[in-house]
This record gives sequence, structure tokens and C-alpha cells, in this order.
Amino acid sequence: MAASVTRPALSSLCKINSNINGIYSLTSFSRRISISSVLSTSAVTTETEAAGRGVRGQRRSKRQAGEPRTERMTVDQDWTAVYPTAASFKPSAVPLPVRMGYPVKRGVPPAKKGNLELIKIPNFLHLTPVAIKKHCEALKQFCTEWPSALDSDEKCVKHFPIQVQSKEFVSAGLSLRNPDVRIVTLKVKLSSLNLDDHARKKMIKLSEERYCKDTDTLTITTDSCPLRQQNYDYAMYLLTVLYHESWKTEAWEQEKTRADMEEYEWEDSPSQKKVLDTLLRMRALGAKDEVEEGTREELLGQPAVQEYRDTMLRLKNEGETEENLQQYKEAVKKLFNI
Amino acid sequence: MATSLVRQTKLLSIVTSQLSSAACFRNIHCTAACLKNRAARIRVAKGDKPVTYEQAYHPHHIGHRKGWLSQHTSNLQGEDGAAERVVEDVFIRRFMYGTFHGCLADEIVIKRRGNLLVICAVMIQKLLPSKFYFLIGYTEELLSHFYKCPVKIEMQTVEEKVVYKYL
Repeated sequence: MAASVTRPALSSLCKINSNINGIYSLTSFSRRISISSVLSTSAVTTETEAAGRGVRGQRRSKRQAGEPRTERMTVDQDWTAVYPTAASFKPSAVPLPVRMGYPVKRGVPPAKKGNLELIKIPNFLHLTPVAIKKHCEALKQFCTEWPSALDSDEKCVKHFPIQVQSKEFVSAGLSLRNPDVRIVTLKVKLSSLNLDDHARKKMIKLSEERYCKDTDTLTITTDSCPLRQQNYDYAMYLLTVLYHESWKTEAWEQEKTRADMEEYEWEDSPSQKKVLDTLLRMRALGAKDEVEEGTREELLGQPAVQEYRDTMLRLKNEGETEENLQQYKEAVKKLFNI
Repeated sequence: MATSLVRQTKLLSIVTSQLSSAACFRNIHCTAACLKNRAARIRVAKGDKPVTYEQAYHPHHIGHRKGWLSQHTSNLQGEDGAAERVVEDVFIRRFMYGTFHGCLADEIVIKRRGNLLVICAVMIQKLLPSKFYFLIGYTEELLSHFYKCPVKIEMQTVEEKVVYKYL
């Protein structure tokens, strides 16, 4: 029993020899060994008791924890030296009498010493205004001025019409990689591109749902390539191709029918024919039946007909609203002189 | 219907007897019964059992009177890696419990700041400071090699366990 006690003590003694810790530990261990060796003849229980008492007594007298740092803090100290980086709550370093936790019945919340709840929560003790000012000062040397010529949003849009968006992700874990980082969104207003009427219509037709009519923006989202740089290049390539293709006119584009038109056009529409017909019939009640180019142009040139044309266009292109319908009613009344 | 039931029970008895008598011996495996309503709960006793704040409040108090012992972003919408973090947490808790045997005053709090793994522990002043420093270095080195990420231990010591109440 004594031998088994001494062997681990001896091995730890050797280890402590290697650690330059002071004489204290050496003497304590040597004393423990000496006690066990002296009392080896006595009963087992008394020996262990004495050893235990001897050791514990020495431990209590030796181990005095120093005073906490809060005692030595001045009011005007540099707090950024106490909490330079994000760290958990240290009750010996934070001089506030904070209490946290649910109180016991007829008691108070537990104090900050050894309070696990205060350690669990994230704290911002490292981000006081003074600390943030210091961060900004340190970062200033790496910053450049905003160009003075770009002082309004319109100028920014005018000089930089294409907007490219991509996302970065930060998460807690062993891996930095996030597959959604490769997605690139390219936004451009069609009004900033050099397009004529046909090119604009063709471009809108080619982009289908990527074009938003209200904001006149073409949005291209690419995520088919594995890298963000590749997706960006692909998006720029798509924009270039769209632009050039919309300027070209293919042979089969001549076969564009009325059903393919994006907007309602009044020229050559059934509505125009009907109006002409009606007006001719109204006039021909009195005069002879002659449909000439001249009379047709004349009829179409009348202000009532023009007004009818405007209201028809508005109705078909913008949809049916109260005022649109009212205007249509007025135009029809004027046309038929009601 | 009664006759078919009788026939089925007869078949079952025949099959089980054959199974038990045959050389295959396939038995039912079952785990230990882990009741949800007995997990992480110290039952009220005579009034002499000291209990810390963490032990005094039961799991249904998490979010109301207790905070979370482990924090990371994997439980958010659209994030992955939750299972791996849980396994890491379990291993780290057992590792710390074994390395600092008898010195832990309370549960370990694990925080993850990006890549960095921060282990916050409250210890009883049972060992010498030099021993504590050695064990801290040992833990940090070993865990950072296991998990390929920087590991930091933030330790506090108290004279004895902080008792919240006696159950």
C-alpha cells in the first residue's frame, strides 16, 4: 500500500523537477513521501488519514488566490487593454456588479463569480466606442477617397450602368466553402444601352422573364459554373451576345404576325378597318360609294378619329381603368356625333 | 375470423419455438431506456444535495431561465454542418471532463467564432496553476490537431463549486 503510494509520487516528483516551479512543490511531495515512509509500520487507515490531512493542510495554507484585477482598476484606465478582442465574460476583469439568472425563492439573481449564464451569452465589451474609433484610425491608411465626380446616384448610374452582385458567406465551422458564393447577378437598364426600336423589342423578346417592364431592368443570374469569376464572365458574355443578336435582323423576322407584336398598333388593325367602314357608310348615305386613298387619309386625319385611335391604344396597352374607359366613351360619342 | 387468428397464433408459436430451438439464435436488440422526462434532471431529495444553476433548471427551462451551452451558426436556415458540430461538441465535453478530472465546477461552454473554437470552462482551484497551464496547452494542441481549426480555452477558477440551491 505504501509502495504504491510512493511510486506515483516519485514519478510526479521527477516531472516537477523538470518544471521549475519553486521549492514549494518539491517540499510538499518530499514531505508526503516522508510521511508515508515514516508511518509505513502503523495501520493503513491512520497513515492515509495523516497523509491526507498533511497534504490538505499544506494546500490550504499555500494556495491563496490573488486579488482580482478589478481591485486595481482606475476610473480612467484604457478599457481596450482589458478586452482587446472578443472574449467571454471574465468576472475578475469586469468591474461591474452584474447579476444574472433566475433568483431563488426570496433571493436575488446569482452573482457574477462563477456564473455560467454570463459566460454563455455573447458580449460586446471589446466594442466600446473608443475601441471602434481606434479600429477606424488603424484602417484609415488602407482606404481611398470616394471620387468627387460621383456625387449623385444618377451620375453613378450614368457612368456605371451595369451592376454586378454577388454574396459572401460567413459561418461557424471548419470549412470556409459555401456553394452559393458562385452565384452572380448582373443588372442593367435597357435605356442605358444603345438600342433602336427593333433591337429593343428583340432584346426584350429574347430575355423573356429576365426583363422587368416596370423598372426597365434586365437581370441575368448565372450559377452554372463552379467559380464566381467564371459565372461573371459568362454573364458578361450573355449580355454581349444579347446585344449583338438584337441588332441583327434575320430573314424569318419578316414573318412577324400581329400575334407576335408586343404592343397594340392601331394601323392595319381590325378596329381601324371597322372605323373606316362605319365612317364611309355614314358619309356614303349621302354621297357616292368611292373608296379612294385620298378619302381614306382624310378620314383618318380627322381629330375625332385620332382621338379614338389614342383611346384605343391606351386601352389596349395600359389596361382597362376607369378614366381610360371614360375617354373611350367620349371618343366614340364624338366620332358618331352623339 | 376467430379461426384465422387462432391459426396465426399457432403459426407464430411454431415459428418462435423453431427459432429458439434452431442454431441461429437471433435475439431482439434493444437500447437502454432513455426517458425524455428523466434527462438532465436532478430529482428533489432531502435538502442536503448542493446543485449548481445549470443542474437546478431542467431542459424545458432552456431559452427561458437558462442559455445555450454551445453556439454556432449551423442551426440557422440554409446552413449545414449541424450534425458535425454536435458530434464535435460531445467529444470536446468528454475530453475536457477526462483531462481536467474533478476540476470542473460546471458545464463547459463552447463558442464558435468562424473557424475558431472557444472552450470556456470554470474550474475549481484543485491543481496548481502550472498544471492548469500545461493541461490547457495540451488540450488546445491536441484538439486543434483533431479538428484542424484553432482552439482556444478561456478558463476561470473558483475556490469551490458555486451552489445555487440545495435539493
